[in-house]
Amino acid sequence: MKNYFKIVSLLLIVMVLSCTNNKEKKYHGVIEKIKDLEKDSIEYTIKSTDFFDTEQFVLVETKETSFYITNRKAKIKKFKCSECHSKSISELKMTNLKGQKAHSDINLKHASLKELNCNSCHPTQNLDNLKSNLDAPVDFNQSYKVCAQCHSTQYKDWLGGAHGKRVKGWVNPRISHTCVDCHNPHNPKFEVRYPARFNSKYSEQRK
Amino acid sequence: MSKEDNKVKDASQMTWHQITTEKSDRRDAIKKLTAGLIAGVGLASTSCSVFSDDQEKEISQLTWDEFFKKNYKIMSDEERIQTVQRLEALYEKKTGNTINMSHQGPIEDVLFGYAFNISKCQGYMDCVNACIEENNQDRNSEMQYIRIHQIEKGHGFNFEKADDNYTNQVPAENHFYIGTQCFHCENPPCVNVCPTEATWKEKDGIVVVDYDWCIGCRYCLASCPYDGRRFNWSQPHVPEDEVNKNQHYLGNRMRKKGVMEKCTFCIQRSRNGNNPACVEACPTGARKFGNLLDPKSEIRWILENKKVFRLKEDLGTEPKFWYYMD
Repeated sequence: MKNYFKIVSLLLIVMVLSCTNNKEKKYHGVIEKIKDLEKDSIEYTIKSTDFFDTEQFVLVETKETSFYITNRKAKIKKFKCSECHSKSISELKMTNLKGQKAHSDINLKHASLKELNCNSCHPTQNLDNLKSNLDAPVDFNQSYKVCAQCHSTQYKDWLGGAHGKRVKGWVNPRISHTCVDCHNPHNPKFEVRYPARFNSKYSEQRK
Repeated sequence: MSKEDNKVKDASQMTWHQITTEKSDRRDAIKKLTAGLIAGVGLASTSCSVFSDDQEKEISQLTWDEFFKKNYKIMSDEERIQTVQRLEALYEKKTGNTINMSHQGPIEDVLFGYAFNISKCQGYMDCVNACIEENNQDRNSEMQYIRIHQIEKGHGFNFEKADDNYTNQVPAENHFYIGTQCFHCENPPCVNVCPTEATWKEKDGIVVVDYDWCIGCRYCLASCPYDGRRFNWSQPHVPEDEVNKNQHYLGNRMRKKGVMEKCTFCIQRSRNGNNPACVEACPTGARKFGNLLDPKSEIRWILENKKVFRLKEDLGTEPKFWYYMD
């Protein structure tokens, strides 16, 4: 009888020890794991500043978030606009330019012309800036503010990170594309085209 | 020696003698032929190149060492470095080109997660091309990790009615697009069924395969509820000038016939702070990638602010790949 107790107690000890030897903590789901292991401030050894110099980018700061976006002015071929547009649009219209048309490549397809025209975003004077609905000047590097006036849900998603795209990498600090990097402001809809790949083996296998 | 022993010896000599004399002609001919062949091959190899012997020796030595390496999971750091260097040397000796193979481990406090915006995906399939190029996938069998399913609206997520090899212009009227690939489950069934422990979940959540420990039984292929795994039915082929030379042992290094492979969240890129190739290639920004353990990351914002779902959640596989819509 004594031996029996000894064996049973030994077995129990072995069982308990083998149970506590679990290496990885068990969670009910990945969300529980995330909540348990999350860190408020993580210092990565790799930073996106390793790929880029943040001085080339523009800082976006709101109450909730702050991140960098691409520099729009650096991308416009002929900036400043005032280098050509020394006169205001109304003055230009007065002079006879004999059929010369600037910006003839721009075919405005953004809402209907009844709702939006050139003057909705570009002021008639001081063309080096954009303008808000209330005629306040908006810097070209902050063009997202002009878009956000109508597209408020997209703007909110973009600030959070659900809409839009990173320039490179997933590490901090965040460097994202601005609206006009992906959407042509004069024709914002994505094109209809053929897919980039067709798998000839799939079609063979499924005959 | 006893008489009996001598007898036995005599008997054996007798039989040996009998055999040799009986078939002497043919045996002689074979002997001479093989001797001649050996001499001929030796002469040819020495006349062609002085170094070829050394080169071949080195290759066979490296291949020999490769055969007797451990499972990557239980290798020490030093052994990992040796293995990676050996593979680099082997590649250089065989093709003359240098590759850079990494053995970089997971980053601290990182758990990778992925989100896919089904309102934004337009079905362009640029991600598929980027994935194939980045991960050195077999060009002959047209292997691809990513599938983009075109589904008619009004039927829900009915993959029976989905088309993942469409030829129409996209986005097609009244259709939506949903991409699938390996979801890097937190509770991966493929890992549980592997008989050789050739596949496992890394600390940063990436489910990886040691291609040299895979025996090609395809249990994992059968166990995956998401069609996330691919098998090399033939020797994979990538044209030498198209090979991505920036490789990782657990990622896009060249595979062989008869082993499994799958999406690794581009381990060679993501562990260096880069986005996977599909995320970088997507022209619509429908693909999101980041660290789930960082409360300020974009992926966490999506999980907390958008209506997200995962495929076959009732299976309890806990994929780290969420879908959301605008």
